[in-house]
Amino acid sequence: MPVIFQSLIDELQNIKSSEEFAGSRERIMEDLLRMKTEHEKLNFRYERLNKEKNILSSLLTRTSADLKKVSENLKIRAEELSAILATIPAYVFFKDRNLNYLLVNKGFAELVGIPAEQIKGRSVKDIFLNYNSSDYFVTEQRVIDSGTAMYNVEEEVEYNGRLRWVNTNLAPIRNAANEIIGLIGISWDITERKHFESDLMHSKELAEAGTMAKNEFIASISHEFRTPMNGIIGLAEILKNTVLDEAQDDLLKGIVSSAENLLALVNDLLDFSAIEAGKMELDFHPFMLDRVLEDVFQVLNLKAREKSLGFSVIINEDVPKHLHGDSQRLRQIILNLTNNAVKFTEQGEIEIHIRLLNRAMDRALLRFEVKDTGIGIPPEAMNLLFKVFSRIKQKQHYLISGTGLGLSICKKLTDLMGGDIGVESVYGKGSTFWFTLPFELSGPKLQNPYNTQTAVEVSYSGKKALVAEDNLINQKIVSFQLRRMGFEVELTDNGQAALEKFASMDFDLVILDIQMPILDGYQVAKAIRQQEKGTSAHLPIIALTANAMKGDRELYLEAGMDGYVSKPFTSEMLQQAIEFANKAAARKITP
Amino acid sequence: MQVKTFSTNTVRGFRQNWDQDTADGFRPNVAVVFSSVELDLTEVIAFLGQKGVKVFGSSSCGEFLYNREGKVISEGGLVCCMMDLIPGSFDLGLFNGIGATSFELGKRAGNWAIKVFKDPAILVVASGLTIDGEQLVRGIQDVAGQDITMFGGLSGDDAHFKETIVFSEASAESNGAVLLVLDKSVYDVNGIATSGWVSIGADKIITSSVGNIVYTIDHEPALDVYKQYLDVRDEDLPQIGIEYPLLIRKKDPDFVLRAVLNVDREKKALIFAGTVPEGAVVTFSSSPGFEIIEHTKKKVNEFYEFSSRSDLLILFSCMARHSALGPAISEEIDEAWTKWNKPLIGFFTYGEIGNNYKNSCDFYNQTFTLVSIKQK
Repeated sequence: MPVIFQSLIDELQNIKSSEEFAGSRERIMEDLLRMKTEHEKLNFRYERLNKEKNILSSLLTRTSADLKKVSENLKIRAEELSAILATIPAYVFFKDRNLNYLLVNKGFAELVGIPAEQIKGRSVKDIFLNYNSSDYFVTEQRVIDSGTAMYNVEEEVEYNGRLRWVNTNLAPIRNAANEIIGLIGISWDITERKHFESDLMHSKELAEAGTMAKNEFIASISHEFRTPMNGIIGLAEILKNTVLDEAQDDLLKGIVSSAENLLALVNDLLDFSAIEAGKMELDFHPFMLDRVLEDVFQVLNLKAREKSLGFSVIINEDVPKHLHGDSQRLRQIILNLTNNAVKFTEQGEIEIHIRLLNRAMDRALLRFEVKDTGIGIPPEAMNLLFKVFSRIKQKQHYLISGTGLGLSICKKLTDLMGGDIGVESVYGKGSTFWFTLPFELSGPKLQNPYNTQTAVEVSYSGKKALVAEDNLINQKIVSFQLRRMGFEVELTDNGQAALEKFASMDFDLVILDIQMPILDGYQVAKAIRQQEKGTSAHLPIIALTANAMKGDRELYLEAGMDGYVSKPFTSEMLQQAIEFANKAAARKITP
Repeated sequence: MQVKTFSTNTVRGFRQNWDQDTADGFRPNVAVVFSSVELDLTEVIAFLGQKGVKVFGSSSCGEFLYNREGKVISEGGLVCCMMDLIPGSFDLGLFNGIGATSFELGKRAGNWAIKVFKDPAILVVASGLTIDGEQLVRGIQDVAGQDITMFGGLSGDDAHFKETIVFSEASAESNGAVLLVLDKSVYDVNGIATSGWVSIGADKIITSSVGNIVYTIDHEPALDVYKQYLDVRDEDLPQIGIEYPLLIRKKDPDFVLRAVLNVDREKKALIFAGTVPEGAVVTFSSSPGFEIIEHTKKKVNEFYEFSSRSDLLILFSCMARHSALGPAISEEIDEAWTKWNKPLIGFFTYGEIGNNYKNSCDFYNQTFTLVSIKQK
């Protein structure tokens, strides 16, 4: 019974008279009113609870059903996750903020040979003996600190006495308040891949070394080919100037043709090995486009006429003539494509056509087309063109010689010069090989002094030439060619002897082989220039060389030489070199 | 600042009380009037219009007045507070909300308030069934700043949910707001807002809503979800909606309560007193019974420690508290009256507006929002 009731009862029982009641009346009334208020409140609450009962009951029932559904879903998700973790071919682990394991999957436990429940609460150092990868700890700590995932963390760990490589992806785990509470890691054993990579790297190094050795061998052997080739071509030329009957003349033509083909092959191999070795350097200089095309025309017009083919060169009027670029390589590409055109065309004509594609400020983009009416290219073979050693196997082609290097070299050269190359062909009707190249424009006065020029018959009658060459065959060829030009020739087979002759006699021309015993060509040239010092004399000196690489010319000029000619060379090439050296020497003579 | 207060149940009684309290030469310039829609407010406004006072008036869902003469909690009555504020230290404006969003209305009212005083304190009442209280607050804050001092409530209509009214000495609006602005350099205006409601049930997601209209909860029609979970009959809505608001979770442990003020049966949508954003995580909520009284008492005592001097207390108490506590509601009101021993006037609202101490103003449901005004 509430205290207030008991006190009220006690008070009423103790009232003995109406006077006493009157005295207590006010207090009793207050108590009764307070009781009434409390009763009203309780009554309200009771009614309210009755009213709320259904609402709260419904809410709780519904919520309970919701929670049951959520619980069932969570159970399903947990089972799914558990199955995934158990079967995933990876090592999965969860860690707390202190980087201690919270949970690992079956794969992880099997890997380290410790039951999953025993791993909980332990650190990586407790699990992997001899573990000292501080970098890995730093990485995990960074994931915790920054909240950023880290991928492909590779480390080598030891377990079961074996060293294994593992690759790990790490990601932070956050709670509902977005606070980082740990991390998840997924690792894969990449030991096999590491071994494979290592083997692959080793194989790659071996392959690269092999390729380099191959290229060096090709360069070296090609170079060695050039010296005897010089002999064959030179001697054939001498022989051509003797009296031969028709059969002998035919045989000689065969020798010359075979030698020229072999020389072309050697040159291709040299270029190819230089390109493959990354040693092909371009030699940019001012030149006239007309001259390059005249040269190509002269070289191939004869061949075209022999096959009764028409041969024409068309240069559009808007094509700039004075260009800056590598004229020798341009000539090589045009010659190669045109040579092919002649080779694969039995009737009709060959046309070289040059167009201006674009011109802006001091640059021009030109398109060169070599069009033939030959056998064309079958569609299935189009994609083989420009690839190394690929040749089209077609019955009609069996009689046609070549290495398959030509178009490949053309492509490499156009690539090097920033251009493009391609072909359009209708099988059986002909082909148009084209390439585009960008050039800088040069002024009309800037002409390449080394540009090929048509040789003019000049007589050097009464002039004296000193020739230093250690190869007897080359001695014969040079002296024959010089004598044909009218020179009197003094021969020596080493540099020292050449200097002695120079000191004792007057000469109008000196021709020096570069590689000679005792003193080489450079040393002789330098000595001659030394002796000329203080005088107005400047004797024309020409280098004979089997080298044909870029940079050689600079070496000769630096040694004081006025020109050079590469072996093997023809009389025309030698005469051009002499002409040029004379002019260069004349410019250097102090008046 | 002199303050006189009275309560009555009739317009006649109102006139008599007014005349009686001004018989001694007291000349109030502001009247705070909270009245049931049962009374003829046109007569009340006409009477006050002749007295040359500014009127801060609102219809109610029950009104109360605690002073030295007694403690009155009534339904169908009227409470009035007469004040003689320092001329130039206050102003009053009534704003019609027809054709404007609640946010736009708030901006218009806010612009006016900051033109009257550089640093105003705002008392605001707005039509409970037509104004989105949250958007009104945001609109005022948009022009007057987040830190504006502002207290008030949404007018009620004795739980009929038909028409709620705010009024001044000149006019009454069922879609509008009345602002009484005070110069803060003259008056201290502080207050608290406390609820005590608790979350019930699992989290749910608001999957479709626009402003204060919620179309779907967990991809189910909102009205269906509400009725199924609370097992309420269609005819119980929207009345019951104010007692069982949705609790919108903010950053833990913060939350805000949003009461259902209306329903769109055709679209099976619920219309709330404030904005309920799409994607919000919500739960149902309920009062935990008489425990909330102790909660309120504790908060009142804390506030008294913070601000113990007052000339007048105005209380905006959610009508749901009255429904939940019944006669026990007097205990929490009494706590405030007893502490300061100054007149306390107020009404049961359809929504409350207020700052919690120095925090920025917000719109609430289910709260006991108490404001203290003290002339400096």
